[in-house]
Amino acid sequence: MTPRHTLADDDLPEQPQVLLVDDDEVNLLLTSMALRERGFAITEATSGEQAIQILTAWVPDVVVLDAVMPGLDGFQTCRALRAMPSIESLPVLMLTGLDDDASITRAYEAGATDFFVKSTQWSLLAGRLTYLLRAARTRAELERSKSRLARAQDLARMGSFDWRRGHGGPVFSVEGLRVFGMGPPDVLGFRALLRMLSDDDRNGLVQVLHDVMRHSTVLATDIPATLHDGRQRIVHVEAEPEFNENGSLIGYTGIVQDVTDRRMAEDKIRHLANFDTLTGLPNRRQLIWRAERALEHGRRLNHQVALLLIDLDRFKVINDTLGHSAGDELLMEVARRLRSCVRHSDQVTDASIESLSSRSHRSLEAVGRYGGDEFVALLPEVLDERDAERVATRILDLMREPIFVGGQECFVTASVGIALYPRDGASVADLLRNSDIAMYSVKSTGRNSSSMYRPALAGQGRKKLELETALHKALERGELVLHYQPKVDVRGAKMVGVEALMRWRHDNVLVPPLDFIPLAEETGLIVPFSEWAIGEAARQAGIWRKNFGFSDSIAVNLPNRLFERFDLVEYIHNAVTKYGVPHHAIELEITEGGLMQDLQNVIPALHRLNEIGVEISIDDFGTGYSSLAYLTRLPISELKIDKSFVRDLGITRESSAVVTAIIALARSLGLRVIAEGVENLRQMKVLNRLGCELMQGFLFCRPKPADEIETWLQTILTGKASWIGKADDAEIAEVLRFADGRGPRFKPAS
Amino acid sequence: MFSSSVSVHTPVAGDDASVGGGAPSGAPGRTVLDPVALARLQELDPTGANQLLQRVLKAFQTSVARLRPQAEAARRSGDNAAIRLVAHTLKSSSASIGALGLSALCAHIEASVRAEPGADQTANLDTLAAALDDVMGAIELRLREGV
Repeated sequence: MTPRHTLADDDLPEQPQVLLVDDDEVNLLLTSMALRERGFAITEATSGEQAIQILTAWVPDVVVLDAVMPGLDGFQTCRALRAMPSIESLPVLMLTGLDDDASITRAYEAGATDFFVKSTQWSLLAGRLTYLLRAARTRAELERSKSRLARAQDLARMGSFDWRRGHGGPVFSVEGLRVFGMGPPDVLGFRALLRMLSDDDRNGLVQVLHDVMRHSTVLATDIPATLHDGRQRIVHVEAEPEFNENGSLIGYTGIVQDVTDRRMAEDKIRHLANFDTLTGLPNRRQLIWRAERALEHGRRLNHQVALLLIDLDRFKVINDTLGHSAGDELLMEVARRLRSCVRHSDQVTDASIESLSSRSHRSLEAVGRYGGDEFVALLPEVLDERDAERVATRILDLMREPIFVGGQECFVTASVGIALYPRDGASVADLLRNSDIAMYSVKSTGRNSSSMYRPALAGQGRKKLELETALHKALERGELVLHYQPKVDVRGAKMVGVEALMRWRHDNVLVPPLDFIPLAEETGLIVPFSEWAIGEAARQAGIWRKNFGFSDSIAVNLPNRLFERFDLVEYIHNAVTKYGVPHHAIELEITEGGLMQDLQNVIPALHRLNEIGVEISIDDFGTGYSSLAYLTRLPISELKIDKSFVRDLGITRESSAVVTAIIALARSLGLRVIAEGVENLRQMKVLNRLGCELMQGFLFCRPKPADEIETWLQTILTGKASWIGKADDAEIAEVLRFADGRGPRFKPAS
Repeated sequence: MFSSSVSVHTPVAGDDASVGGGAPSGAPGRTVLDPVALARLQELDPTGANQLLQRVLKAFQTSVARLRPQAEAARRSGDNAAIRLVAHTLKSSSASIGALGLSALCAHIEASVRAEPGADQTANLDTLAAALDDVMGAIELRLREGV
């Protein structure tokens, strides 16, 4: 018999297994024959007892059970098999007689899935079985999916609940109860649920529930609950309203989920994203966020906000000398101190701010780390600038205490720039920029202080910033040039050397030294600039040597910190060697102030330089506080009288007295002495008379590019210069008498 | 009661399948078993390869051989429930092989026990025994003829 494939159903097994139970041989034979022909696999049993026996070892897809049998009848058999594990959901079809209504009822009561009136129309039976199998399959899938869901919910610590209006509290699924640390047969009503919340949270939730119900909207909220065992959990609740056919709200159905871990992870991530890992202070991003919120409040409530930019002075020096870990220690201590200067609040979240009261902006107050050694204090509400200045003063005071890092005491000061909203800016960016400008004004006027932003500062700041940016590129762009000013022996009318002066050709304009040298010193660029100058001077000495036999020195100004470089001697040696000039072709000028400030560190370098023939000249002599004791022992060759004395020569008595003293000192120490800033014949004549023959100044020659120096030399060689031969003028005696206070004051000719 | 039962089953069984009145002795096998019902059985095994009809008829013989002693025992002990079970079983199996008269008689006995569990079934059982004889005779004939 070829089975006709009537079971064209993808969901069903290829050949459904049927257990056919009938005590009547004829029926059994016919039914199984008919079903086999329709694609079923039949196992026969002739009694209820035999059927149960078979089912203990094997489970078919469906059982077909004759209702009336001797021994265990169909109903008893059905009841018995329903009691067997794993068979409770097996579909059972009960075969009854046409005239047997009572059996139909009994069949259902006994747990039969369906009944079928015995008939010889086999296709009807096969159809019914197919239907039963499909329903069973669907049911099994539902069961599986339900248990999968339950498992998933358990894993996700999630459960469901239903609430029907007018039917008491919510009804939670088993998984839902588990979220709250409960289980069947516990009942979790509204009251019990609310008791798990703090007073504030309870009121908040009640308010939310009322709002949601009133508008029949979706509920989505997080509840911080304390479970019966004392565990603190955060439970996320999400529910959708349900409506009847009239559109009235009849209840809510939704889920609860324990999101404590997720929330903690989120908090951790948020913390990492918003706080500086070293100091634990709010980072730049968090600061800006807080400042923006503070400005919103300020705008709404019409009050002022202050932003203080705090920059540590000389932090780089500490970092460089004591190392980064000491620098980090220092920053941590500074952070701790700064924190105590404001009502610092760490606990600010996006949500809490939105929901808090009108005074909530107070909790924005904080000090944060804005950058390396830059901190920002945000004062979300100040009455006036004095409020902000008080905080700044507190900060500066606290900084004055020594900080113990890297095994030694450090003194750190800070420069604080203050900007106020709305006066100094309407946006956070404006306030940050302007507090930065104010802070820089403090830096430029001696540090360790605070300053309010003033519009007048803005221009300076911006210009300085632009200049600084450009200055960084000056060297690589080849914008630096050296100009040279001759040192002149006025008696012999000859050049005895030149001083190299740095110029910056920026945007085709020659930037005056005063406009960029201080900035170069501040930024540290002065070091590479000076190194370049040494090399360039050596190169120029080489050219002049070839061109006109130049054998004097080119004096290069060096900042004292360059003298601390252990490789300075080697550097100079390499430079002169490269251009084939002797060591003494380079002379170094160090200011008196710079020398004295760092005497101990500079002396070894001076000795080494002196040994190889590089002469040292003390610049701006007379303006500092030289220790005469040291001066006698220093390996120096030349003193340069500061131009301020030269300027006043013949005007004030003191200046000629100082000049006289310097000349005497130099002479007694065996040093050369040269006067700077000589601008007129009068000064020249006085100096000459006082015994100083070496001079430098506009009177003789302005600083010039190298090639123009050669031209200038021609004017001396040909005796055409105006000053030649004027050094010993008789009228000078008269001038000196006036200057000494023995006559009317000298009035310079216009 | 029996006469009424005859009148009940007569329209079902038709003239050919009269049970109580005795069938024409000339061709009992042709009329006792309904040719339509037999034809439907034959459809289950169109080529006859499975010898379905023979197997079914033999199964019926086996079934009757089992049920007859049960019926006799029930008659002796007056166990109407057992009588009803025998009638119920025979009702559907006899219908399956086309013994429609027998099936109707069994239905009648089953209904009568259900309606009056204590009623005397002796007469019905006599009629049943005779009807069974007829059907068994017809089956025997069929099997001898090779169906």
